[in-house]
Amino acid sequence: MSKQIKIYTNPGCPYCKMAKEFLLKKGVEFIDYDVKNDKDAREEMKKISGGALRVPVISVCNEVMVGFDRGRLEQALSCLEQSSKIE
Amino acid sequence: MAKVIIYSTDGCPFCAKAKSFLTEKGISYDGIEVQSGSSVWEEMKKKTGSGSLPQILIGDEPVGGYSDLVNLEAGGELSQKLGLAEEGKGVPLYDVIIIGGGPAGLSAAVYAARKILKTLVVSKDIGGQVAWTYDVDNYLGFSQVDTADLIAKFEDHVEKYGVEKLVGAEVKALELTGKLKKVTTVDGDSYLSKTLIIATGKRPRPLNVPGEKELTGRGVTYCSTCDAALFEGFDVAVMGGGNSALESVFDLMKVSPKIYMVSLTSVTGDEILQDKVMSSPKVEIFTEYKILRIEGESSVEGIEIESLKTGKTKKLSVQGIIVEIGLLPNSELVMDIVETNRTGEIIVDSRCHTGVSGVFACGDVTNVPYKQIIVAAGEGAKAALSAYDYIIKQR
Repeated sequence: MSKQIKIYTNPGCPYCKMAKEFLLKKGVEFIDYDVKNDKDAREEMKKISGGALRVPVISVCNEVMVGFDRGRLEQALSCLEQSSKIE
Repeated sequence: MAKVIIYSTDGCPFCAKAKSFLTEKGISYDGIEVQSGSSVWEEMKKKTGSGSLPQILIGDEPVGGYSDLVNLEAGGELSQKLGLAEEGKGVPLYDVIIIGGGPAGLSAAVYAARKILKTLVVSKDIGGQVAWTYDVDNYLGFSQVDTADLIAKFEDHVEKYGVEKLVGAEVKALELTGKLKKVTTVDGDSYLSKTLIIATGKRPRPLNVPGEKELTGRGVTYCSTCDAALFEGFDVAVMGGGNSALESVFDLMKVSPKIYMVSLTSVTGDEILQDKVMSSPKVEIFTEYKILRIEGESSVEGIEIESLKTGKTKKLSVQGIIVEIGLLPNSELVMDIVETNRTGEIIVDSRCHTGVSGVFACGDVTNVPYKQIIVAAGEGAKAALSAYDYIIKQR
């Protein structure tokens, strides 16, 4: 369960960069998918988010967030602590 | 709150200090003038056990003079004695609360912190409108800077001064008429402050048509920089006729087979951009048309537009919509309290004062002209310095 975070981004989107920097600052690992250049990733993003055409889409544990909402993301990250405790 | 009585006399410096202290904290009191040897003085001595001035009573309890008052406050006992501990349990008091985390709000935070004001920034996000564009070329000291990096620098600067921040919080209610301003968030948390700085910026103006809310993020976007790339292969409608709309059309020309530009007025943007857009065979322009609705179940499938001249309607099949019809100031929370102009911008004077004592505003939410990052940052600095002046004058 080390790579539970996936982030779908467009390289030209400031919110995407801010979201990634926030995750870096939090010291959590994540996989970054470039949905501008990777069509498969774009389709996957739409699939997991119920058709979102907005970036970033962030999947943390079992939660999928559309857009960068720092408060909500921070809250969602608490699942990582819980799962590491269980481990 | 328990009743506060202060026995004092003219020309007594500690009496004046005690009164200003109470005023500054927003604590109302009854002042009783005392002459040495008078019957009031005797009464005071009986109640407090002391003949020196000032003497302060909270409820029926004598708490001593000015220094005792300051010690009580420092030890956190004052609010308890006043009964505020129950009333406003855990309600922290700040010198300044700044609502908004864009360049105006963050600049205000730096200036407030440097004046050693206890400062709190409450904001839904950090960066505000700056994050709508990819890079900035006109902020002094940076001939070109990535916006995410610039915003990170703003935030680091604020963090250097240890300013408290509440990011992701939305303000639900403001009480601004009293001496202490009260800010309550959607989560139900409340904060008190001697001054308030409103730096809430602007947001994209919505179309206000059926289907818009439901399909936002599902083909409807207000951030072309972020989402236009996702419209690759889609036919797209761009709503608006200004520069932002033209830029969106221009970006889409690289990825979309067909782009419709729909505007209430004639196209008003830069001529060079207009020429580029209008000469593209991919682009079809509808001027003096309004949008009636957005259609689609789980994603955008089309729009219906109506000619303002003939009243005739037309359906366009599109999978993406970019809305670029201007901005609205985020002033709803204070609309009934402070004065606003016709467009809803908060009217401020040259020192960022609103009409309400202790309440300041800065940045794009105000009527200050030229909505630029550097202007907003400058206005934020002014608002913080004005808040500082206000607090000093209350002492």
